[in-house]
Amino acid sequence: VSDRRIDRRDLGRALSRKGASAWVVVERDQQIASIDQTGTTRSEQRTRWQLAVHVDTPTARGSAHVSLDAALGNADAIAAQAVDLARAGLGPAWSSPPPAAPARVDLDDGALHDPAAAAAHALPRTNAVGAAAIALREQVAVLTHAGFRTSWNATRARIDTIVATADHSLAVTCESRTLDGLATAEAIADAARDLDLLASAHAPISGPCTLVLRADALLHGGLGVWRAFVGQADAVVEREGLTRYREHTPVVPGADATAQPLTIASDGALAYGLESAPLGDDGEAVRRWTLVDGGVAAGLALSPREAALRGRNPNGGVRNLIVEPGAWTGPASGERVVEIRRLRSLTIDRYTGDASLEIALGVDRGVPFSGGLLRIDLIDALARAQRSAATITRGAYVGPAAVWIDRAELLA
Amino acid sequence: VTWNRREVLATFGVGAAHVLLGCGGAPPPIARPAVDAEEIRTWLREAVARLVAAGFPQARALAVSRWRTSAAVDALGAGVARSRSDGVVLATGSAEQVTSELSRAGVLAAVRALAATLRDPTPLEFPPPPPAVTEPRVLADYELLDRVTALAARDPNVSSRIVYSAALIDVDDAHVWAIGSGFDREQRIVRVRRSVTRVAWNGTRPVVSEAQRAFAGVVDDLDIPDGELFAATDHALALMTPTAFPDGEHAIALEPSVVAVLADAAVRTLLTTAAARRPEVGRRLAVGRKVASPTLTLVDDPTATASYGGYAFDDLGGPAAAVTLLDAGQVVGVLAPRHRAGHLGPLEASPSHLRLAAGTTDADHLVEDGFALEGGLSATVDPASDHVVVAAARAHEIKAGSRTGRVYADIELVGDLGPILASITGASAQTATFGMRDERDGLPRFRSIEAPWLRGRGTLRARRRPA
Repeated sequence: VSDRRIDRRDLGRALSRKGASAWVVVERDQQIASIDQTGTTRSEQRTRWQLAVHVDTPTARGSAHVSLDAALGNADAIAAQAVDLARAGLGPAWSSPPPAAPARVDLDDGALHDPAAAAAHALPRTNAVGAAAIALREQVAVLTHAGFRTSWNATRARIDTIVATADHSLAVTCESRTLDGLATAEAIADAARDLDLLASAHAPISGPCTLVLRADALLHGGLGVWRAFVGQADAVVEREGLTRYREHTPVVPGADATAQPLTIASDGALAYGLESAPLGDDGEAVRRWTLVDGGVAAGLALSPREAALRGRNPNGGVRNLIVEPGAWTGPASGERVVEIRRLRSLTIDRYTGDASLEIALGVDRGVPFSGGLLRIDLIDALARAQRSAATITRGAYVGPAAVWIDRAELLA
Repeated sequence: VTWNRREVLATFGVGAAHVLLGCGGAPPPIARPAVDAEEIRTWLREAVARLVAAGFPQARALAVSRWRTSAAVDALGAGVARSRSDGVVLATGSAEQVTSELSRAGVLAAVRALAATLRDPTPLEFPPPPPAVTEPRVLADYELLDRVTALAARDPNVSSRIVYSAALIDVDDAHVWAIGSGFDREQRIVRVRRSVTRVAWNGTRPVVSEAQRAFAGVVDDLDIPDGELFAATDHALALMTPTAFPDGEHAIALEPSVVAVLADAAVRTLLTTAAARRPEVGRRLAVGRKVASPTLTLVDDPTATASYGGYAFDDLGGPAAAVTLLDAGQVVGVLAPRHRAGHLGPLEASPSHLRLAAGTTDADHLVEDGFALEGGLSATVDPASDHVVVAAARAHEIKAGSRTGRVYADIELVGDLGPILASITGASAQTATFGMRDERDGLPRFRSIEAPWLRGRGTLRARRRPA
């Protein structure tokens, strides 16, 4: 291990000297602190490097990604290795897009300036088992072959805990760019309310129903059911013809003619958005773009390469998902309204959008139940669903707090 | 068990490329930075001695220098990706300090962060340094590309119906030091994964099939046998029965890959000290409770020779030792937090090399009438309810002890884990071993599982509706 600290300018100069035609160097200096309920603390200082290197010949381009979790090294050796890797994989020629202005976005919460203090402050202390808090503050610097350079600060915090009674427990995870955005107390209170319902939960009853997905079920594991649309926006999968719908066509027949046509956007420039960033890892500017516009497939996640091959601009990929709210307020109506509050698991077929929703807690005409399964074609169901007017911001999602699906089949 | 196209593409960097092997001279081997093991040992000993002097008698130091190389080839081309990760973890028992600066200055800065003031080191007796570890030969890019290209081209039966085909060789080489008062350990673990994937369309949906070998050793130690390689193609090309699957309870034979994903998910979710804090888990799986069929004995054995998840010492510096989790269906142990993702992450309880005891039955004669579930894809275990969903690539119908030829794609085994484990009435004499690699916060976790076929009963259902 060399004793020399890696310097991004040295790296850049070395890459140019070694014959890289285009390159991007991303340096992340991270301070991470965590604390758990036993008082055990952990502090971490790390430097992460990501290099995207391209080597051009008259008819081809070779590319390589090199990542380093190290503060020390030899810039010349790292650059030589990256260029050799790029030369080992020449492919169809394409050109890096000209540098575009980074998205202007604030990602730095002053309350997280001292990650150790912030983690200790954020740690829930009541009604929780095995709670742990983690806080991160990072300085990101980007340097490209064209001389473009930029840097920004970002923060992030996460709470993991289990809310338990003597008989039941629910896992709670909160993640945000800001301490206030964690809303841990509300999440724990919601879980405590659901634990009360679980205590009196019955077995599910099979049959057709009108379905209401509440926030915890809607966003199970992060983006929840909306992940069905993320897979369809993968430009590589779309180029291979493996997506369910193509650009400029309705996501399902008639999706553009519903009362509240679905509109979904990706906004990587959302202030304090969990997935926001001024630039992507390949140095591309992050932009707001639309996945689905009024029920019609409108855009794809474009890396610099995919964008170049299609003659378009890169957009930074799918970032924070912004789903347009609907007009639905008040209770859902129907012969049998089943409200799903929490899921045990959510499986989505990335090609078709077919999903299995295992129910952890539901309310069937006012009676709580646990167990049962829903099989839903999510693309179709969400394209036609009524969306609540009330919205929530959670993790990388901003959108309706609930959706109302007219026809579903509950399987006990 | 599963790796996917995204993983292959990731190894290519931003641009997948047509392979141009053999064009031009062979590039020089990439030199790995020289690691002076003795120097690192000196830094770590000094750090421990200074922490003990500062009033932390339980002080420990763990250092790692890790190097990953992945070579992959698919229809779009071939590529190699490399990454390196260095780091040091200093622990006092109630606090940890981690740095990616593997140098004397970096280690001392970490000591200063824990101890506030830097005191002269306490004279400590460390055991003699272990023998120097053998330096494995680092393969050059072209050598790895040669091997992965040969792996991709070995099956002559890849027809035009295979719409996607890929091969991957992934080598993770970790050099680890663990030093504390009374111990001084050093290990070199080279983990190798060879894998091929085949994808073919079945009706309107793609069918994915894989073959894999994962082990610790040198890249050329083990290869995927021809039989398994050809079977991956056959499974992808198999014409699936288009009629609806008869959802319901059936006699089942679970192939080792299905057993592996289930055992891995169940152990990580339920048989850990952290899981035991949940009231439902504590009640159901308390040590001493009979929770499964007497057929089932499960051991976590990091000392298993050449196992992908094995090691000589854990990330607390303790020597590797087998832990029996289930003994003839009875819970006798749980996993304590002794591992760190990438040897640098937070401590977590995770299996290393799980071994499910083999039985005496022949795998071909487990079930008279029922279904053989093959191609384990994933398993989800809900710790609160014990509910489990195991996804498998296909289910073969068996009648009168023979396969009928009906094969259903994407079938799930669902139900509560307890009754499923209690229904197991037989295990095959044959076993298979699988390696698993996932990541936490960009740091890798390695596990392996050796499992037999199992015979039992369970509820099966189609994962996808008929197209």
